[in-house]
Amino acid sequence: MARYLTRNRLRRIYKWGGFPVSHDRKLKTDEYDSLHISLEDLPRTTVITNGQYILIEGVDDDHPYVAKVTKLIESDKKKKALVQWFARVGEVPPNKLKLLGREPHPQEIFYYEGPTCEDEIDVESILNTVQVHQSTLSYWMEVLYVKLSWNTKVFKVVTPEQIETATAAAPRLVPTPGRLRPALPPSPPCSPALAATPRSRAPSRRCVCCHLSVSRLHVSSVPESLPCREQEFQDIYNFVESKVMDGTGGCMYISGVPGTGKTATVHEVIRSLQRASDADDVPAFNFIEINGMKMTDPHQAYVQILQKLTGQKATPDHAAALLEKRFSHAGPKKESTVLLVDELDLLWTRKQNVMYNLFDWPTRRHGRLVVLTIANTMDLPERIMINRVASRLGLTRMSFQPYSFKQLQQIIMSRLNKVKAFEEDALQLVSRKVAALSGDARRCLDICRRATEICEHTSLDPGAPGLVGMSHVMQALDEMFSSAYVTAIRCASVQEQLFLRSVLMEFRRLGLEEATFQQVLVQHQALCRVEGLQPPSVSEALAACQRLGACRLLLLEPSRLGVLQRVRLNVSQDDVLYALKAE
Amino acid sequence: HLQVQTLLRERLCHQQLPQRPEGVDSQHKHLMELLKRTAVHGESNSVLIIGPRGTGKTQLLRCVLAELLAEEDVDKTLLQVHLNGLLQTDDRIALKEITRQLSLENVVGDQVFGSFAENLAFLLEALKKGDRSSSRPVLFILDEFDLFAHHKNQTLLYNLLDVSQSAQTPVAVVGLTCRLDVLELLEKRVKSRFSHRQIHLLPSLSFSQYLQAVQAQLHLPDTTFPDTTFCYDWNASLKVDKSVEAVLLRHFNSTKDFRSLHRLLMAILCRVSVNNPTIKPADLLDASRLLSADAMTNVLHGLSILELCLVIAMKHLNDIYDGEPFNLQMVYNEFKRFLQRKSNSLYNFELPVVMKAFEHLQQLEVVRPVDAAAAVAARAQREYQLVRLMLDHSQIMEALQKYPQCPTDVKQWAASAFG
Repeated sequence: MARYLTRNRLRRIYKWGGFPVSHDRKLKTDEYDSLHISLEDLPRTTVITNGQYILIEGVDDDHPYVAKVTKLIESDKKKKALVQWFARVGEVPPNKLKLLGREPHPQEIFYYEGPTCEDEIDVESILNTVQVHQSTLSYWMEVLYVKLSWNTKVFKVVTPEQIETATAAAPRLVPTPGRLRPALPPSPPCSPALAATPRSRAPSRRCVCCHLSVSRLHVSSVPESLPCREQEFQDIYNFVESKVMDGTGGCMYISGVPGTGKTATVHEVIRSLQRASDADDVPAFNFIEINGMKMTDPHQAYVQILQKLTGQKATPDHAAALLEKRFSHAGPKKESTVLLVDELDLLWTRKQNVMYNLFDWPTRRHGRLVVLTIANTMDLPERIMINRVASRLGLTRMSFQPYSFKQLQQIIMSRLNKVKAFEEDALQLVSRKVAALSGDARRCLDICRRATEICEHTSLDPGAPGLVGMSHVMQALDEMFSSAYVTAIRCASVQEQLFLRSVLMEFRRLGLEEATFQQVLVQHQALCRVEGLQPPSVSEALAACQRLGACRLLLLEPSRLGVLQRVRLNVSQDDVLYALKAE
Repeated sequence: HLQVQTLLRERLCHQQLPQRPEGVDSQHKHLMELLKRTAVHGESNSVLIIGPRGTGKTQLLRCVLAELLAEEDVDKTLLQVHLNGLLQTDDRIALKEITRQLSLENVVGDQVFGSFAENLAFLLEALKKGDRSSSRPVLFILDEFDLFAHHKNQTLLYNLLDVSQSAQTPVAVVGLTCRLDVLELLEKRVKSRFSHRQIHLLPSLSFSQYLQAVQAQLHLPDTTFPDTTFCYDWNASLKVDKSVEAVLLRHFNSTKDFRSLHRLLMAILCRVSVNNPTIKPADLLDASRLLSADAMTNVLHGLSILELCLVIAMKHLNDIYDGEPFNLQMVYNEFKRFLQRKSNSLYNFELPVVMKAFEHLQQLEVVRPVDAAAAVAARAQREYQLVRLMLDHSQIMEALQKYPQCPTDVKQWAASAFG
């Protein structure tokens, strides 16, 4: 649990009500008949007993999962509950929703009898109780109603007996042999609330859903809070919060190599601040974001800032003047403005006007402008900014270090969030490899995603792909880190290979790393005679040379120089020899 | 026989798509899976298809697209944008093209309104508004991807790849290039956003597979061709004998890709006519000889004797001065020395005539000035500008052998060691 109180977390306390009702000696578990949940500092207590319907924490706070409690047990000092799942409308793939034949009610749920997920859940994920009525037409907020059952393929009317027997279902702590691997319904391709239902850790099981892990590992699904960036989050949060609360302006410079979570962390800070301002802890503020790469010209920055602030469209000069006026004069009830400037180095102009203004406006008394700038190099202010601009930028700097391998591992684990999809050493291999090279989280996630895809495609049983293992990860690494030069040389035609060999010979003869085509041609024709092949004409040899130059195995001068063009190798000589030797 | 022509020309020239290109099954599967994920599941991706020229990158992509669009719901929802680095040489033009192809709101008819900045902002807004569930996936195909990396700041690439890595409209960015070192061209920010998926298309046919491919290309389909006897005779005549194999082996040794094979087969096909309804090995030999002939040798055959003598004089100068550049005056002196020895007044031309011949050689690019810019600027004293000979000695000798009615003393002069 994060100790950083700025993050939104409510603490719930779970306690058994009374003494255990029975004890199972074989499985060493205790059964209870009620559970008390209370919120920290609040007097209200919710009691949950067998047979009640509950809401379970899912990924999406607005659509928690629904289930019915069949048993409450404690095993190994951990509180667990056995449940019968119900599926919400959003969890059914849209193409199957058509089978319903009618528009589903938003509060409708379906009795879930498909190849199920774990029936055993951690009690800590229970949020609250809910009322579920069977096929009544109540339109009350807190009530859900069930009419049909869903087994991932077809809808069937649910009988009252099924609902009743759900209560008395025998607990399944050990999987019955031959039972299908627990797998989620295939994630609906268009549902935003994709997530695994919380599963309990059962070390002997292999719970995998490849669709799910692939979508979670996609770079675009940024989590609510970034792991391993807590300190940076706190620092930026404190800076912005203090400026906004004081109503002053300020500048901060954030640097770090690509893929280290700078923009994501700033977005997280802003989200937290907006939540805080909704709760009136912090005065309201405006947030604007511009990106140097998304502009065609540095002066467009003025146009974009003005448009996002006031919705006005203007030419760059006019926009600059208007912004100058806005930040210089005190306005009635003015809100603070937080401006995020991504890819700052592209806003450089020769006179550095744009950057000067961006860092000057926060210094105005009535400006109330807080500027957060992001770039890649730590010494950008010293290198490209003139003194007055660098001094206005100030010394509030933050540097995001590249991720270490432990951090990368943690990031992936948190993304997968209890879905056990990777073998331990496979995960270690990926993290170590990427950390050694660049420490770029995007790279790591892409490789893991690709490894998952490979695992999915090469598995023998399409329904249960199993864990992503070393072989899949090695294949993914091979694909994504490969340099195809050696293979390209091996796949080249005979004349092209001979040409490469003659290039090497000519370099050795001259003692240089460069030769003219004419010189190489002499060697080439000699080599052809040695090999017993018909020597090519000059045009043919030129064509072979051009083809090698097009793939950049050779570096050539422009082809208008004809036979006089100079030739250089783009691959190391050892690589060429290695490739040609293996024939 | 006319139908033969149309059928085979369609196949060779218009690049009719085969059902599935041979030898690239795993790459086909990989690309298909990737595009399916974007089109059907809404997962953004980016991939580069890398391979030497003529190995079938565009063909592979078109095959995969055809197969993908065969599914009706994909056909209805997938949007495609085709860009080419050679056509869209600038981000400004590229953006206009994207806007036009996507039919965004600032397009009226075929014209795109708005400045570059406005277009970019508009496109980014349009893409940002979308999300996985509700918007149509977009497929961006960038041909000659390496040329896009030369645009200013690589803004287009950055923005497209950024969209593919954010929770916006699902996009697939497919780049085709022949440069193996294309990743080194990308800036570090752009490289970080690229998912580093690469599909390599390297020609890996053995010679026997190549022979089979040749036969397959020339084969007429038994079932659909109207004249069955003709078809049968044609297919029967496609036997590979020793001479054919030798010619094809030479071609295979020179280059493995299919584009040059098609060129060869086209040359053969052009010889098929009503009087000559089948292909014979001799046709193949002729075609091969035509294609592998040296380009410059043919040019030399069209020169006059005087020009030829000048070329030979330049050859001797190259031998004496080891490749250093020379000017017209030096060539003329060398030529005069030859004339003195022969005491033959047949070739005793004045300097202006020789200069005219020299200029003709320059126009044909048999000689090129060393410094092209200065050559244009300095109008005076053209006979003293330094030039270089663009021919190899072997080309000259070969040309002389086949030159029609070449005087023997010229030939001897060329062959002699002392000029």
